Amino acid sequence: MTGVAPLQSGETYLLPERIADLTGLGEFGVLGELVAAFVGAFIVGSLMLAMTGVAGPWAKRKITAAFTDRIAVNHLGPAGIFIIVADSVRLLSKENIIPEDADRPAYDLAPIVIAASALLGFAVIPMGSGIHLADPEVGLAYVFAIAGIASIGLIMAGYASGNKYSMLGGLRAVAQNIAYEIPLVVTGMSVVIFAGSLQMSTIVEAQAEPLVTVAGLSIPAWYAIVNPFAFVLFLVANFAEVGRNPFDMPEAPAELVAGYQTEYSSVYFVLVYLGEFLHIFLGGAIITTIFLGGPAGPGPAELGIVWFLVKIWGVFLLTQWLRSAIPRVRIDQLIEIGWKGMLVLAFANLVLTAVIVALIDAPGL
Amino acid sequence: MSTGIERHETEEALAELIGDRLLERDDHLNAPGFVIRPDDVQSVLADLREEAGFDMLSCVTGQAYDDRYETIYHLKRYADPTREASVVVPTATDEPVSETAEPIYRAADWGERECYDLVGIEYEGHPDHRRILLPETWQGHPLSPDYDQDKPQIVTLSEHANPIQPDHRESDTMFLNIGPHHPATHGVLHVKTVLDGETVVDLDPDIGYLHRCEEQMCQQGTYRHQIMPYPDRWDYVSSGLLNEWAYARAAEDLADIEVPEYAQVIRTMGAELCRIASHMLALGTFALDVYGEFTALFQYTFRDREIVQDILEDLTGQRLMFNYFRLGGVAWDLPEPREEFFENVRDFLDELPAKVVEYNDMVTSNEIFQVRCVDTGVLEPEVAKSYGVTGPVARGSGVDYDLRRDDPYGYYENLEWNVVTEDGMDNYSRVLVRMQEVEESAKIIEQCVDLLEEWPEDDREIQANVPRTLKPDAGAETYRSVEAAKGELGIYIRSDGTDTPARFKIRSPCFHNLSALAEMAEGEYIPDLVASLGSLDIVLGEVDR
Repeated sequence: MTGVAPLQSGETYLLPERIADLTGLGEFGVLGELVAAFVGAFIVGSLMLAMTGVAGPWAKRKITAAFTDRIAVNHLGPAGIFIIVADSVRLLSKENIIPEDADRPAYDLAPIVIAASALLGFAVIPMGSGIHLADPEVGLAYVFAIAGIASIGLIMAGYASGNKYSMLGGLRAVAQNIAYEIPLVVTGMSVVIFAGSLQMSTIVEAQAEPLVTVAGLSIPAWYAIVNPFAFVLFLVANFAEVGRNPFDMPEAPAELVAGYQTEYSSVYFVLVYLGEFLHIFLGGAIITTIFLGGPAGPGPAELGIVWFLVKIWGVFLLTQWLRSAIPRVRIDQLIEIGWKGMLVLAFANLVLTAVIVALIDAPGL
Repeated sequence: MSTGIERHETEEALAELIGDRLLERDDHLNAPGFVIRPDDVQSVLADLREEAGFDMLSCVTGQAYDDRYETIYHLKRYADPTREASVVVPTATDEPVSETAEPIYRAADWGERECYDLVGIEYEGHPDHRRILLPETWQGHPLSPDYDQDKPQIVTLSEHANPIQPDHRESDTMFLNIGPHHPATHGVLHVKTVLDGETVVDLDPDIGYLHRCEEQMCQQGTYRHQIMPYPDRWDYVSSGLLNEWAYARAAEDLADIEVPEYAQVIRTMGAELCRIASHMLALGTFALDVYGEFTALFQYTFRDREIVQDILEDLTGQRLMFNYFRLGGVAWDLPEPREEFFENVRDFLDELPAKVVEYNDMVTSNEIFQVRCVDTGVLEPEVAKSYGVTGPVARGSGVDYDLRRDDPYGYYENLEWNVVTEDGMDNYSRVLVRMQEVEESAKIIEQCVDLLEEWPEDDREIQANVPRTLKPDAGAETYRSVEAAKGELGIYIRSDGTDTPARFKIRSPCFHNLSALAEMAEGEYIPDLVASLGSLDIVLGEVDR
């Protein structure tokens, strides 16, 4: 790891700067930069929402169907792709039923908090092909922090719905997020020790070096390959964090009807659902960035966004696979795995990584 | 103990045991009937249970005569269900009060509540004397002679306890309605639960949402043709033929009809096909409860169940409401061309072992599944017996009880197969039992197909000669049961000499199995309650009838 020189902030050519340069907005000073930043954010946000919009109504159906021996949607358009349009019309035109006992405005804010927290996380993710909104020095800390806000959204939804199932789901969500947030962050820290920086661009760059070259094929130093143990830990903690099988406690339809989202309908339901999908993709984006070399891949650098999308869809596929094949654990077992298993392993991994990195970096070795 | 039971093998010995508490004998076709006074119920039943080994209260039948009400306790032994005894308790019409049997058999709890609800007999000392199938505000008892059918039943909301009203009582526990509309209740079941955190402190299943007066409908139909379609509608998830057999067995016993051997083989094959279909569904829906809603397993079991459904459709012409059995045989012979039918069945049987391996790979060997299911929903064998639990649920608790072997009917005694039991007593054992029973059923079907293929063409008698109008002797009573997919499905019929039954009572296995839910789930977490409910494999159509 000695070969990696820490990069300085601001070296990356970010999307807003690029837009400013291309359109000439840069000449208008701070105001121009602001407009360029908004345009950049709009592009990234639209990209992610469009992808989630596709994943929600269509791809998820097709993927789950493939796992479970079914065909799924196939009537509207090729392979049923236009179901997306039908779904949008259906979901947006439904009556928004708000329970009498709902505690407003918490009830109304919760879906927005859930969806927005995930969307904001994408701001610091380097997606390749020059699509990178911001690159603060504390990028990784920021993305964990912002994704963690979703927990507040969940308990708001659970509490404010005035429904006992929602309440139980909200409580479960918080217990689960606390139990798994710590292993998640601690495992993330081990990557920071390798890269020597919290900055996303630096972490990605550190993984670009070839690790070994076998028969002319160079294997990159992706942290998933350098430290597979941390990768698996992070993957598991991430499934718990986004609440997918075997950790889909907060919803657990057979037990809690739909958990914290029981009372949401129409547009609010869309937002909650969108938020969930965004969180799965954000989890995939974090994993891609810190373990799978970000947008790195064969071919010219312009293909970066393609590789990036392939990788996060790979993570999404994995969540759907688990959902089809693995039973869910019980809530007490889940908490036990979190505190007694994951936490210990995460710290062991951190200490081990620190020792190894220190040994490698030690003068004289 | 065994020597004591031996002593009471004969009817005379039983009569002697009851002593002067015996008023008179009222023998049924299946068992000796002992008439006792309403205030001797507990002492007589306690003696029969302790001294004579009758550890199973199979069924409680309530009925109204012109001059009296009558409660019949159908007793059996788990060790040998052919040793039966009926305890008949008549009560006066003007004051139908009888002592409760609940302290002796827990099964009497729900059984007597049902008699109270439908017939109007009251049970003194019953710990939970409420209606069970009908709404609490119902006026009158539908099967009692003075019930006015034309009187409108107006149930106002104010009279009804509103389950969703706000509750401002201060307490450490939370009351939660699970159902009647809930993904895990497998139909319209309402479980009133009290939670301490996520732990179930108390639960009370509220049934009756699917009560369709099946017993009364059967009482209005003629024996010969009009009753047979109804059994398909009790346990309606593909165990139709098993249910039909319960009625066929009771009615054939009552009217003394011999069924041709050829028809018995077809019946046996059809019934076991139904059992496979039913167990597949049980496995699939249990997976929904433990895995979540997007599980591959549910689709896999339905894929395989579909093949069975196709075979049954070929055989009976129907997919759900088979109506294939007739008194004295079956409706028609195997479909032509016979070779094609046999080939379909054999193809299915050949592919089944590989599928069972696949299920074991996916389900029973999955570690998370084991963590979830082993040692949860524990049902001790003694508790199970007290509740009259039967079928895979009882066999999962190590109770070696299967009517196909212990009280043989059809063609079972001539075939090679095993009764599956597991000693785990938990949700996991119940899944294992069902999966192994699928394999055993496959063995039975295979032997039936062999027999049917070889059967000489001129000896294929599918129905005995049964009179067009069947009028069993007046006063004849019988209670016969078969091993349905969920357990012991029994029918009690009393004839009054006409062509329709005077009383038709259904002993539902799901009803008794469900009554043991509280024993399994109290003190455990909500997910375990849901898993336990799933592992009971109840069908509300049969619970509520």
